[in-house]
Amino acid sequence: MAYLSGIAVTAFGKHPGRGPVALMEEAALAALADAGLPRQAVDGLIAGYATTYPHLMMGTVMAERLSLRLRHAHQAQVGGATGAAAIILARHLIAAGACRHVLVVGGENRLTGQSRDDALKILAGVGHPVHEVPLGASIPAYYALVAARYLHETGASEADLAELAVLMRRHAAAHPGAQLTKPLTVAEVLASKPIATPLKFLDCCPISDGAAAVIVSAEPTGAAAIRLAGWGEAHTHQHVSEMPDDLGLGAKIAAAQAFATAGRQAEDMRLLGLYDSFTPTLAIFLEVLGFAKPGEAGAAAREGRFSRDGALPLNLHGGLMSYGHPGVAGFLAHVVEVVRQMRGAAGQRQVRDAPLAYCHADGGVFSSHAGFVLERVA
Amino acid sequence: MSGPMLQSCRTCRHGWQFQRAACPACGAQDIVAAESGGGGTVWSVTTVLRAPLPELDMPGGYGIALVTLDEGPRIMCRSAPGLAIGERVQVAVEADGMPRAVPAGSELEDAGSG
Ligand SMILES: [Zn+2]
Repeated sequence: MAYLSGIAVTAFGKHPGRGPVALMEEAALAALADAGLPRQAVDGLIAGYATTYPHLMMGTVMAERLSLRLRHAHQAQVGGATGAAAIILARHLIAAGACRHVLVVGGENRLTGQSRDDALKILAGVGHPVHEVPLGASIPAYYALVAARYLHETGASEADLAELAVLMRRHAAAHPGAQLTKPLTVAEVLASKPIATPLKFLDCCPISDGAAAVIVSAEPTGAAAIRLAGWGEAHTHQHVSEMPDDLGLGAKIAAAQAFATAGRQAEDMRLLGLYDSFTPTLAIFLEVLGFAKPGEAGAAAREGRFSRDGALPLNLHGGLMSYGHPGVAGFLAHVVEVVRQMRGAAGQRQVRDAPLAYCHADGGVFSSHAGFVLERVA
Repeated sequence: MSGPMLQSCRTCRHGWQFQRAACPACGAQDIVAAESGGGGTVWSVTTVLRAPLPELDMPGGYGIALVTLDEGPRIMCRSAPGLAIGERVQVAVEADGMPRAVPAGSELEDAGSG
């Protein structure tokens, strides 16, 4: 049994002068306080990579900074899926009896710690060095290729995708830590600067500074016990050139395993935390995981299905698209919000009862998938 | 004009692009290099208007396509302007070693006029 016992997220946006280690330290200390655990209780640590501080041993860098004495420490690295995969790995460490409290932490100053061009260049490097990068491909271009295919296959429109950006912005407006809170319309998304067709600037998440941490424990430490009930991963390819013809294949494999290990189904979920690097990322996840019909994620968002008072609230902090995206901490912020909601501690953003939630992220270009079911058991 | 280079498995005839020592389909290691005929169908296509590096930016952007070759593999190519998903294309390797896709038949017109 594994429980998400501690959570913390900083504000996302600009944290000038603060590097990845300081940002992660802030989130880690806040998560320890949230869990009510002394630092001596933590015996495992999985730290995310930071593009602004490329280091071979971020696990031990953070262990040293936090003065932890660990039985396991390492740096995890599967792109956007890092936080989700690290939480699943923490569960495995606990199930194996190797650790009792594992700190998962990510954070960096991706916005102020490097030039925007450097950030984009590093990110484009997930492409194939011989067959993709020399063509001038960028991360938005890789996702644009998937987006164009998705629109072709489903008949959805760019305006449908824009609905998801609008929804994330509306949710972010209710969170004081969100990077982007100015209200947004579908027309504004459609009129924003083209990046790689069919993606416009406002279909893409921003680059941010920030950090987040989650503590995975062998037993609950607070009043609300949020159990990691099911987990699944899939790693179908690295490069979009070798992506399966079925755009949702990796997501479906990971989610099916997560639901099977939880003994639950997609229909049982009452709250979602889904990776939303680009509007098509979110649309594809919602549809292939069974939370919307094919091509109808945008329409469902417009009709309120994923709003706070809808049937299936989604990314109530604003997601990567509007809360912000500082790398590994980006998806951890989704998890923090989901746990906060499940505890009933989300204040004015609080949804009605949400005893079961599904969280899912991808790294690369739908390459690595990690998803898990959370269940409130007390 | 030459077609893109692929690898082909002599055991199961599976073909692919990225260099490997073993067949992704059957695991056999009897692999040969094979030149694609270049015929294929556009699986997806985008016009990049914001390049990853400013020096790569081009007025009006530049096209990148994923083309499913008739031999089976899907490869990333430069795209002639205006290609659409499902369109038949001919892929040839350019001087810098990178493949470019043009509408099927148009490469013959180019040869005729040149
Ligand atoms: Zn073979």
